[in-house]
Amino acid sequence: MTQESAGRSGLKEWIFTTDHKKIAVMYLITSLVVFTLGLLLAIVMKAGQWSPGNSLVGPKLYNVLFTIHGAGMILWWMIPVFTGFFANLLVPLMIGARDVAFPRLNALSFWFFVGATVMAVLALVTPGRLDIGWTGYPPYSIKTDANTSLYVFAVHLLGASALASAVNFLTTIITMRAPGMTWGRLNLAVWGIFGAFIIQLFGIPVIAGAVTLLLFDKYLGTNFYNATMGGSPILYQHLFWFYAHPAVYVIALPAFGIVSEIVSTFSRKKIFGYTSMVIALMAIAFLGFDVWIHHLFTKGVEDWARIVQSLLTLLIAVPTGIKVFNWLATMHKGSIDFKAPMLYAVGFITLFVIGGVTGIGNGLLAIDIDVHDTLWVVAHFHTVLSMSMTMVAFAGIFFWFPKFTGRMYNERLAKITFWIILIGSLLAFVPYFKLGLEGMPRRYWSYPPEFTSTYRVTVIGGFILIAGFFMTLINIVRSAFAGERATANPWNAKSLEWTIPSPPPSYNFETIPVITAGPYEYGSPEEGKKALPEEAEAF
Amino acid sequence: MKRFLTFAAVSLLFCLPSVALAEEVDPVKSWDNHFRLYAILVTAIWVLVTVLLIYFSLRYRRKKGQGDGASIHGNIFLEIVWTLVPFIIVVLLGVQTWAVFQEYRKVPKNAYELNVQGFMWGWNVTYPDGIKTTNELRVPVGTPVKVNLTSKDVLHAFYIPEYKVQEEAIPGRTTYFWFLPTKAGEYRAYCTEFCGAGHSLMLAEVHAMDKADFQAWVAKYKEAAAALSPVEKGKKLVDGLGCLGCHTITGEKSTGPTLKGIFGSSVVLSDGRKIIANEEYIEHSISEPKRDIVKGYSPIMPPYKLSDEDLHAITEYLKTLK
Ligand code: HEC
Ligand SMILES: [Cu+2]
Ligand SMILES: [Cu+2]
Repeated sequence: MTQESAGRSGLKEWIFTTDHKKIAVMYLITSLVVFTLGLLLAIVMKAGQWSPGNSLVGPKLYNVLFTIHGAGMILWWMIPVFTGFFANLLVPLMIGARDVAFPRLNALSFWFFVGATVMAVLALVTPGRLDIGWTGYPPYSIKTDANTSLYVFAVHLLGASALASAVNFLTTIITMRAPGMTWGRLNLAVWGIFGAFIIQLFGIPVIAGAVTLLLFDKYLGTNFYNATMGGSPILYQHLFWFYAHPAVYVIALPAFGIVSEIVSTFSRKKIFGYTSMVIALMAIAFLGFDVWIHHLFTKGVEDWARIVQSLLTLLIAVPTGIKVFNWLATMHKGSIDFKAPMLYAVGFITLFVIGGVTGIGNGLLAIDIDVHDTLWVVAHFHTVLSMSMTMVAFAGIFFWFPKFTGRMYNERLAKITFWIILIGSLLAFVPYFKLGLEGMPRRYWSYPPEFTSTYRVTVIGGFILIAGFFMTLINIVRSAFAGERATANPWNAKSLEWTIPSPPPSYNFETIPVITAGPYEYGSPEEGKKALPEEAEAF
Repeated sequence: MKRFLTFAAVSLLFCLPSVALAEEVDPVKSWDNHFRLYAILVTAIWVLVTVLLIYFSLRYRRKKGQGDGASIHGNIFLEIVWTLVPFIIVVLLGVQTWAVFQEYRKVPKNAYELNVQGFMWGWNVTYPDGIKTTNELRVPVGTPVKVNLTSKDVLHAFYIPEYKVQEEAIPGRTTYFWFLPTKAGEYRAYCTEFCGAGHSLMLAEVHAMDKADFQAWVAKYKEAAAALSPVEKGKKLVDGLGCLGCHTITGEKSTGPTLKGIFGSSVVLSDGRKIIANEEYIEHSISEPKRDIVKGYSPIMPPYKLSDEDLHAITEYLKTLK
């Protein structure tokens, strides 16, 4: 799709490419494929829950389904779409660089990711199907005859890929910013990606070690997690969540950044409180490492440790709240154009706040003693993470669609699917809060008959939601080939990536730009057509 | 701002004693109060955000020919407000959660103690009088109940929604929780830690019984138990206490020495002494395993506090394992 090779971009060129934009697209395609698979599994799980006693799948198969659904959606969709697709697409374009610092290492990262995917697929088709949950807690993951090794190897490859990316992108952001691109002029999306990769850098070695010990215990007979021989199964959970909790912010920080780009662009207003946005992002990245025990509030951990981490968990609400209110304030007195990305961003905010405040419930130690490992938690993370972040992913995909494909998506279809997805999400997951409060545990293949009607609402919601997702996928694929040709800057945005053609040439910038202003210079008096009182003040 | 701080301070003072001064400690009651405050606050936040979101979306929608929005880049006062207000709210809730959690962990002195062991896939319950049930927990109304929890194989978690409490069952460790049955009735308990194919079927019934009914049930059970011969009783104990997790009765070594043919055999101890395993030695090995350690094994067997009668029954049973 680069200029020189337009029209004859053969398969070979894609496989051997080191162009960050092509690598981005390959990440997107891979993760969308796994996303589709995760949706298909979700359909089967949901459909079977129409009546208690699940006539569609048995308990063993159900366990395999939720394992692959969870692992696939987190490790192959959410994390790669943000740190693979968006990071690759946006970082060089937004900082004014021609590529990342180590383009070949970047390609290697991607191919490790593909290797991990192959590994995971092998784990599915070889005997001993994976039934350990994406968390893989011992002793069960050691005792079961499931093929834990392939899953562990897949996680290793993912880890290697992510570590290489982390080094690569941190180096790129630190050293390759165009002249004049100070830290204070960086796009919030770049700040978000920066925070995400710092987390990857410090977190991944820990989880890689945790799963390696699991492997040793299972196949070499060591006893790291074996309580009868002096080990501790809970140790695994500490190590696992030490990474897996911050991993949530690996997804969320870039997503926060992307929402900021979109809200500012379509409100045609400077982002409100840029500095506090940056501080909040970094505070979340830092605090994220001190709260993993909220996943172990009912696991016999020392009482004092539970209390301390409960309080720390609650603190995360503060920087998160700052972000939400800053987005609202950005919309205030804006000139808002509800193109699809903006609709998704607004839908994200309301869903995200539902997920966020119920997260405070989980973080409150005493409340968690009741709702832990019930459907309340499933509802919480599907609203705060799965639905919210998928909405942001779609918002971002549509927003930069003209940039990376050179074509426009179908605006009408995108708007219709937004409403379908929003309604579907609410119906599919809000009833889970109720079920959780009534005591219904998670990861249950069946349920007591008194919950039938509530379950049915979630099944209907689930089908609506999945229909919306498939329509979005169709929109993306169709528009990539048959959409209208896009101009360089269809949104009239002020950020650097919109100053170059769509799609950008392989070298991005003909000459490296010299930056003289921030990325959100909307509402500058000389450009605004209507003078508002605030502008007079700003003079 | 000042007014808000005063308000926050007052409500903090107001909600703390409501936890501390409750006449009879019942974590469920405190939980309800705590959850109510939490639910009110966060619902208010969500409504505020969503109303603003909708209002701004309608009010500031771009009109034809309209240019950029206002040139505002921030407002220090507002930013401080929405940093400080959420901070105060979470500190308020955090302090309250701390107080409620303390109630959950402080077991009343007069608690009735039960041992519960999870296994794939069910729950073994042992009562102080040696009574045993499976997937059934009988408790007297009005008496606090402490559950000592462990697991035989993988992780499980015992969850009683009625008493709003759950805790992990961990092999090789004992965890605990307590609750106060306030109303007679039958309640469901679930396993909440994923444990394989039978996870969804790992349910138990909690029967909260009026004191008299409970005592009648205990008496009836004891009568039935008294009718057993010592050997039968011993076998039941060995099967039920988890001895076979570490010992075999078939002759193979396991974590501990086999129990087959132990009675009358000669045992070499770790300090070099050689003794003949008689009744006294066996009973000691069970009630105070640390006293004599068999050579070649680690001292990991937990001591069992059993009645003399039960110890005798086990010994009688072990005698039959030739
Ligand atoms: C956690 C594992 C474990 C459990 C559970 C356990 N034991 Fe043991 N037991 C051992 C070990 C190890 C030894 C050897 C070391 C020692 O003497 O303490 C042992 C020793 C013994 C001995 C002495 C054996 C000999 O050859 O001299 C007896 C008798 C015995 N156990 C009975 C029991 C009974 C009865 C139970 C159940 C009430 C039980 N054990 C539960 C681990 C266990
Ligand atoms: Cu977490
Ligand atoms: Cu279970």
